[in-house]
Amino acid sequence: MKIALIGNPNSGKTTLFNLLTGLNAKIGNWPGVTIEKKSGVIKNTNYEITDLPGIYSLSPYSIEEEISRKYVFDENPDVIINIIDATALERSLYLTTQLLELDCRVIVALNMADVLQKKGIKINIQKLEEILCTKIIKISALRGAGIKELINNIKIYNTFNKSHIYDSKIENSINKIQDILQIPPNKRFISVKLLEKDERFMNLETKEIDKIRIELEKYYETDLEETIAIQRYKFIEKLKKETVIKKIKTKTFSDKLDTVLLNKWFGIPIFIIIMFFIYYFSVGVIGNYTVDLISSFIEKISEYTKFLLKNINTSDWLISLIIDGIMTGVGSVLSFIPQLIILFFCISILEATGYMSRISLLLDKIFKKIGLSGKSLIPFIIGSGCSVPGIMGTRIIENQEEREKTVILTPFIPCTAKLPMIALFSGYFFGKNSGLISVSLYFLSILIIIFSAILMKKIVYKDTNNTYIAELPEYKLPNIKYVLRDVWDKVISFIKRAGTIILICSIIIWFLLSFSFKLEYGININNSILAHIGKSMSWIFYPVIGINSWEATVSIIQGLVAKEQVISSMSVISGLSEGGTKIFEIGSVFNFFTPVSGCSFMVFNLFSAPCFGAIAAMDKELFNSKKTIKAITFQTILAWFISAFIYQIGSRIEKGIFNITDILMISIILVILSKILLYKKEEKSECRYCPYANSCVR
Amino acid sequence: MKYIGEICNLSELEVGQVAKVITLTQINRKIRRHLLDMGITKDAEVTIKKIAPMGDPISILLRDYELCICKEDLKNIIVEVIK
Repeated sequence: MKIALIGNPNSGKTTLFNLLTGLNAKIGNWPGVTIEKKSGVIKNTNYEITDLPGIYSLSPYSIEEEISRKYVFDENPDVIINIIDATALERSLYLTTQLLELDCRVIVALNMADVLQKKGIKINIQKLEEILCTKIIKISALRGAGIKELINNIKIYNTFNKSHIYDSKIENSINKIQDILQIPPNKRFISVKLLEKDERFMNLETKEIDKIRIELEKYYETDLEETIAIQRYKFIEKLKKETVIKKIKTKTFSDKLDTVLLNKWFGIPIFIIIMFFIYYFSVGVIGNYTVDLISSFIEKISEYTKFLLKNINTSDWLISLIIDGIMTGVGSVLSFIPQLIILFFCISILEATGYMSRISLLLDKIFKKIGLSGKSLIPFIIGSGCSVPGIMGTRIIENQEEREKTVILTPFIPCTAKLPMIALFSGYFFGKNSGLISVSLYFLSILIIIFSAILMKKIVYKDTNNTYIAELPEYKLPNIKYVLRDVWDKVISFIKRAGTIILICSIIIWFLLSFSFKLEYGININNSILAHIGKSMSWIFYPVIGINSWEATVSIIQGLVAKEQVISSMSVISGLSEGGTKIFEIGSVFNFFTPVSGCSFMVFNLFSAPCFGAIAAMDKELFNSKKTIKAITFQTILAWFISAFIYQIGSRIEKGIFNITDILMISIILVILSKILLYKKEEKSECRYCPYANSCVR
Repeated sequence: MKYIGEICNLSELEVGQVAKVITLTQINRKIRRHLLDMGITKDAEVTIKKIAPMGDPISILLRDYELCICKEDLKNIIVEVIK
């Protein structure tokens, strides 16, 4: 049996799904967490259940919502569990009235039943069942109450529901259209959609239907889309009057909290402080204490292993592979796990409390100015964990252009895979100030995003004014169990990457470093295969780090596989080169780095093309490989210019030869940039006075 | 400040004011459909609840939940002020 889980966004579908299946899909407190359908089997049964992205109506506006509608029509589920939020009954039942028009069994799960009493709401379930002609079961997905009853009812409930909610005039027309329609199932539903002129069903349109529609439109003096929505809500209002008793509460806890967090003066500063502390705390403070501890621990292990291997007479090359290749490569990445845990934890808390929606509300106006939506912020913040879910999360943005821009910009946010590099470089070069340097890199990424967004708005995309319609969820105390599970999942997947991709890459790097083209072992590292490859390309990065270093070049290129690999590769190379040192120690091949070239090196790695995983996600969301290639080229070229700029200016300041000509050069560049940014396309004169210019599609 | 009984669009009201929806303008079918689905239909009562720090978007209370809409879209909602 196939079961579909359908309900409004943020109504607790995924929490229920996890409960029923024992799986661990991602949840959060903002509309749009679930972006793809996910199937599982209900525990102790053979029922297949599918969790779908939330929808408000069966006439969707964004891609992820279209997935839900498509599932209902193409997969023909046997039962629909319609989960509704008891605290927002009217809006939830609107979708229910649509689902009840399908030829499918519908069971209503009344979620958040536990909050009702606290809110002073009483619902007469029996009466509600009677009027809606369906089965209603009280549950609390968060507390796991009512689940058994729900499963039992899936087994026994067998009534097809036919509720009649419109006035007689429309009901009659629906019956007439149903007679005209021949084969398709869901006749009643399709009849209503035909009255509404829903594009998906217009292929079934006939002259008679058009006649019926025109007659009705004349009678109601407005189009039927509006009339039908009005009648649905009228039906629900009446229903609510008969079944719900509610004490009126004027100010909720959320309202009180919002007077501070959405305050006219403090709202945005508070947001900046929160983000600052999240990054400062996780990258700076925690990092300083833990990295040395863990890396010395890993070092001890590898020394011990080396000792052990030598004692059992292992051959030299195998010891080198295990110690210099695998343990160095994988270990260099693993030492950053404490920072990841903190960062993942903070982001998870942000998602669970409901602050995410506030953030997009806070900054919508600024983001609109640069051609993005306030909703773009959600992918950006998720992207500071990992770009891939961030890029996929752009699906909550309805406007296609804004969405594409957000997809292209999300990889600019330093993800946790780039964090080892940030922590290592800033920790070594800036010591106590490393936290500040790390945070400033996040702020630099924001500047770069703003700059690129304006650039795209001016050059590639049209200047359009866009909409913002989104539900504002109430604040919730995060459920620590779910938060910890989320963090655990992410950390485990990071460790898995270290154990798979990074491990394989480390072995390959070791091989390419230890052998020459003639496959001789025991050569000088400068004659290795990798050295030759790197040398042929090192000129590209000369302006960025001020030296022709094949070691740095090959490390940068490996960032494409996974950004952690940059550090991993550097560790392996410096370990294998003469002297066998750690990355920045005296005698290391990377000893040439100065604070300035360290910064420019980081900046290039942070903002150039993301890893293959993120590129694949971009490609999937842009629906167009040409666009993906353009986007990646844009990112890489931009990163090169910015990092070269930083190095050229910075190194001159470092050496004390910064003079008036440099200032002149900088100001010329700034003037050109501002010219580009302030460039305005000429408005068509006919548009200027047109009242519809803002929503015009042209 | 709009007075009781006045007919205007929803973007012109201030925090705390209550209005009754009369109709939605025909400007953009997709947005119109979205607003209808969210419960902004004839006779629905809406309260202006919160305004984002920069003055836009605006959060309104209707049908027991809060909905944030930007000013540009609010202009399409024609209402009668009742409080």
